[in-house]
Amino acid sequence: MSFSRRNFLIATGVAAASTSVLSACSSSDSKGSRDNVPSVSKSEAVNIPVGTKADSAGPAPEVKGAVKGGTIYSLDQFDMDHMDPAQIYVSTEGAITVPIMRGLTGYKIDDKGNCTLVGDAATDAGTMKNGGKTWSFTLKDGIKWEDGAEVSMDDLRHTFERLFASFVTEGPRYVQQWLVGGDKYKGPYSGKHLDSLEISGKTITFHLTEARTDFNYTLAMRGYSLVPKKHDTKEKYDKRPFSCGPYKIGDRKIGKSLTYVRNEHWDAATDPIRNAYPDKYVFQFGFELIASTDRYMADKGNDQYTMSIFNEVAPERIAQVLTNAKYKERVLTQVDTVTYYWPINMTRVKDVKVRQAINWAWPHQQLQTIRGGKATSELATTILSPVTPGYEKFDLYGVDKKPGGDPAKAKALLKEAGKLGQKLVIAYQHSDNAVKSAVAIKNALEAAGFQVVNKQVDKSTFYTQIGKVDNDFDLFAAGWSPDWPNGYSVFYPCWSGKNIGDGRSNYAQLNDPSVNKAIDAAAKIADPEEANKAWGKVDRQIMELAAVVPDYHSIRNWMHGSKVGNVVFDAGNTCIALCKLYAKK
Amino acid sequence: MTSTDQQPFLSIKDLKVHFSTEDGIVKAVDGLSFDLVKGQTLGIVGESGSGKSVTNLTILGLHDRDRTAIEGEILLDGKELLSASEKELERLRGNKMSMIFQDALASLSPYHTIGTQIGETYRKHTGCSKSEARKRAIEMLRRVGIPQPDMRVDDYPHQFSGGMRQRAMIAMALVCDPELLIADEPTTALDVTVQAQIMDLLKDLQQEFGTAIIFITHDLGVIADIADDVLVMYGGRCVERGTKKEVLSDPQHPYTLGLLNSMPSLHGAVDVPLTPIPGSPPSLLNPPSGCRFHPRCAFADKVVGDRCSTERPLLELVEDRGSACHLTDAQKQELFADFAATRHN
Amino acid sequence: MFRFLVRRLLGALVILLIISAVTFWLFYAIPRDPAMMSCGKNCTPDMLKQVRHNLGIDHPIPVQYWYWLKGIFVGRSYGDFGDCSAPCLGYSFANREPVLGTILDRLPLTLSLAFGAAVVFLIFGVGAGMIAALKQGKWQDKVASSASLLGSSLQIYFVGYIAMYFLVFKMGILDNPSYTPITESPADWFSGLLLPWLVLAIIFTANYTRMSRSQLVEQLSEDYVRTARAKGLSRSNVFLRFAWRGAMGPIVTIFGVDLGTLIGGAIITESVFSLQGVGRLALDAVNKSDLPMVLGVTLLSAGAIVVFNIVVDAVYALIDPRIRLA
Repeated sequence: MSFSRRNFLIATGVAAASTSVLSACSSSDSKGSRDNVPSVSKSEAVNIPVGTKADSAGPAPEVKGAVKGGTIYSLDQFDMDHMDPAQIYVSTEGAITVPIMRGLTGYKIDDKGNCTLVGDAATDAGTMKNGGKTWSFTLKDGIKWEDGAEVSMDDLRHTFERLFASFVTEGPRYVQQWLVGGDKYKGPYSGKHLDSLEISGKTITFHLTEARTDFNYTLAMRGYSLVPKKHDTKEKYDKRPFSCGPYKIGDRKIGKSLTYVRNEHWDAATDPIRNAYPDKYVFQFGFELIASTDRYMADKGNDQYTMSIFNEVAPERIAQVLTNAKYKERVLTQVDTVTYYWPINMTRVKDVKVRQAINWAWPHQQLQTIRGGKATSELATTILSPVTPGYEKFDLYGVDKKPGGDPAKAKALLKEAGKLGQKLVIAYQHSDNAVKSAVAIKNALEAAGFQVVNKQVDKSTFYTQIGKVDNDFDLFAAGWSPDWPNGYSVFYPCWSGKNIGDGRSNYAQLNDPSVNKAIDAAAKIADPEEANKAWGKVDRQIMELAAVVPDYHSIRNWMHGSKVGNVVFDAGNTCIALCKLYAKK
Repeated sequence: MTSTDQQPFLSIKDLKVHFSTEDGIVKAVDGLSFDLVKGQTLGIVGESGSGKSVTNLTILGLHDRDRTAIEGEILLDGKELLSASEKELERLRGNKMSMIFQDALASLSPYHTIGTQIGETYRKHTGCSKSEARKRAIEMLRRVGIPQPDMRVDDYPHQFSGGMRQRAMIAMALVCDPELLIADEPTTALDVTVQAQIMDLLKDLQQEFGTAIIFITHDLGVIADIADDVLVMYGGRCVERGTKKEVLSDPQHPYTLGLLNSMPSLHGAVDVPLTPIPGSPPSLLNPPSGCRFHPRCAFADKVVGDRCSTERPLLELVEDRGSACHLTDAQKQELFADFAATRHN
Repeated sequence: MFRFLVRRLLGALVILLIISAVTFWLFYAIPRDPAMMSCGKNCTPDMLKQVRHNLGIDHPIPVQYWYWLKGIFVGRSYGDFGDCSAPCLGYSFANREPVLGTILDRLPLTLSLAFGAAVVFLIFGVGAGMIAALKQGKWQDKVASSASLLGSSLQIYFVGYIAMYFLVFKMGILDNPSYTPITESPADWFSGLLLPWLVLAIIFTANYTRMSRSQLVEQLSEDYVRTARAKGLSRSNVFLRFAWRGAMGPIVTIFGVDLGTLIGGAIITESVFSLQGVGRLALDAVNKSDLPMVLGVTLLSAGAIVVFNIVVDAVYALIDPRIRLA
């Protein structure tokens, strides 16, 4: 049993957006593609391009064979902690709110499973000026709140201004940091507006302090979804948000259940993203992974119309489920955008040869076995996940050839550096597998001539401890998932020298002038394809410096009932696409 | 003293009570016979484990039937008890025959009032109403000498003193005017004054109702006070029988002699040393062969050969008087002379 | 009796006070930062400070405790989050609800689970124990004793899933466990909880079988039971009015403790059967470092145990007149 979702999600930053989809993840009907557990070699990074104005117009492309009506249920372990979009960061909360919340931009999934960034409440995915320092979006006509009132420009401005209120502490903070004057603004409740949000007719213009060529992707995060000024209940909004999507909250019992019913004021013609086939969604909470898995396997009664937002196939049942075609055809398998890696403290381990030796010696395969094998993870050789745009496949330290590590090579490097017997202090989070992993790592590194000291650190303070500039660890378990689909969202927060500091996320404390320069340059490239190439090079550059040991990319397996139709992956929310589902007759 | 012309009220013939335990068969009573007539008191003497309590529980039918093998015959007023049904026994118990137990505190239910406990016996056997039973309980308490019985009737046993509890117990046993009363060491736990009061009470009641009493004790002093006849038990067998006077003043068995020597005489010199019987009571699971007393007997070597350890001495009764011992009468006279010297004055 | 109750209830209050203080202190003693849990991915020291303020944990611990204590008697205001009227056990920021309301919302399920299971395990446990004691050494005794040995070695995890697999998934005899308030539909309430009752009861039944058997065997060999038989009372009368009465005391004692514990939440049972009772609430609260909720549930559990202890003592005194309440 794992009760650590929250810690895990917050700490590793498994958050809203992902980048690209595997060809395998498109549809539950394409059985052939899921006969094998995906592996890095087969996954193909696909861009999430910016769609046109036509792409942004509703209605959403029809799903072949889909029927309207019925109820879709869910079985999940936990209720959501937040429903105020400004407080939403974790992917499950982003995914479950797709039917009731709309942002300026969003991700559209076409009938082939391809993902495009389109205007959701906006007529298109935005217009960039001034090299990315100015962004304009025009609000569509006919988007209505659940009380029938039309979404106004006031609502739009208010949505962004309220992000500065003191009760907003858990959502993303990108826009707040970039908006001109944001550092001094305290929110709209004292009656003051933020000047860098300019309203003109139905157009809102954002004035940013720096060039953000991917600002429209940032706005697709759930954290920037619309909030009606009239119904903004501040702190209490977290309990009962107001909808402008195809559904609204019908009933909510915190910790137990959440029901969505149709919002009759929603107009499909304004919405390119949501199909909204079922009449109702009933989310049920309090189910352990094993309980939901068993019910999916039994596939009885309403459970046939049931899927999960968060609950994956329980580790105890994964082998049984994936080896039986009857069950497997009801599993959606997807490589995640998160990369789990071990940053090396550059301040303490200064010699590049020593860091490379750690990489050569790393027992990737043993650790995978401890985690439960190939069904749930893939070995990583890069910082970017194969499903993040910009991913370039390379393997500098022979993981493909020797997945168990190459102690001889590592030892040779260590000897060359004159550091045989180098002491390494490794920090682990308490977890089910931590002790076993620690032993495997210790054995592998000591075989290569290191002297290893293992230290366990409590989960809730782990990132505080390793996030301190002055810490006593050489190597620590961490992970990162991009907030929106590109390299910037990975490399800037974690590998730019500007982000070294207590509470920041450059845990390796990498401050390499050429890397910094490359990150800044890549961030300014407006053409996504060019930018992706540049990010791939940054990945390689950092790996050459061996500032980190990439460990694995996780694979997620969601199971569902037999009468849930069109179970497809929503790359934008790294979850099942709720608004594409239908209840089979 | 025993009047042979009277029909015995209780008659036990060759009673054998054997328990099966995990370790084997325990021969708790091994061939016991005696008769008792109404108005008479039989004292049964013996150490713990000699079989005296078992005998009496068997008379009441309170033994564990599943684990007990019984042979012989128990006749109460001509009725065979061993073959009686549980229902028949229930009608007799507390009614025609009743029992006073040793430890009144443990033997009275701590959860019910004295009055209830006395009254329910009466109700069970007479079918009277609750209020009548209560009246009867008060009357019985008065009879056994409890002051303010109408107040104390609603007390719980723990609110009574030791002597009062024993009186209440007697009241409970006598509530249906039983014809046979078995008193199992009723005075052991009491101090001497209370003990004497209880004995007097029993004697009074016996005179009044002509009850037959079996009085079990290991205290020969008590026997001297209350019994008409005495039966000495050892290792599940009767080793000596006789009238009180015969047994106490002229013991015929070395065990009886040993018992007498181990208790102070009320009449004898104060400086006579008390001599306890060496050794400990026999294991009934694996009893000694021959005479069960022989390992502890001071005179076993006086008997020719090894008869004491090989041959069971038979209880030969003449006019209900006799003992089970291989010593000849002459030997007894000679060897027991010391006792006579210290006691016979 | 009155004096007893007053004295014991005062004692209970002191105990609860101590427990709350210790919980408070322990919560801060462990290396866990509730503010970290409510601070986003890009948590800066300033943000952390803001979160601490929002959560009301920026005061010294004794001050926080005092506010909390005061809230119980006079209520408390949580600014824009809302008011929490007396008795206010605090406000859960994780659930965004006053603690008491959430507990009261979950309590009916837990009470249903506890009392329902208690009925089952009392009937089966004590019943089997009685039979075993009456039929000492016979096959009935052996069956009951082996069954209780087996039962006591079972885990709810194991039995629960097995039972679910066969009764719900394979044979479809029962529905997925669920909770419907008895006031809504007694039939659904019963059928939804039947499986959890049975499974939870299996674990307890064994204990009661062994307990009542050994107690009864002991009581049956008591002198006063023999006396009652010597008075001519029937076997069944003696068994029920005498032996059983004596055996009840210890059984009532453990029953009180068990019931008190169950009302604090049957965490594993609730997890296995996906029921949202107090146990799950406690577990979630701990995982979310939700101190007000942890405190609330701890107090409920402790309170239930303390109250049932008082009840047990009172019942004990009713059973056994030798015990005086003072």
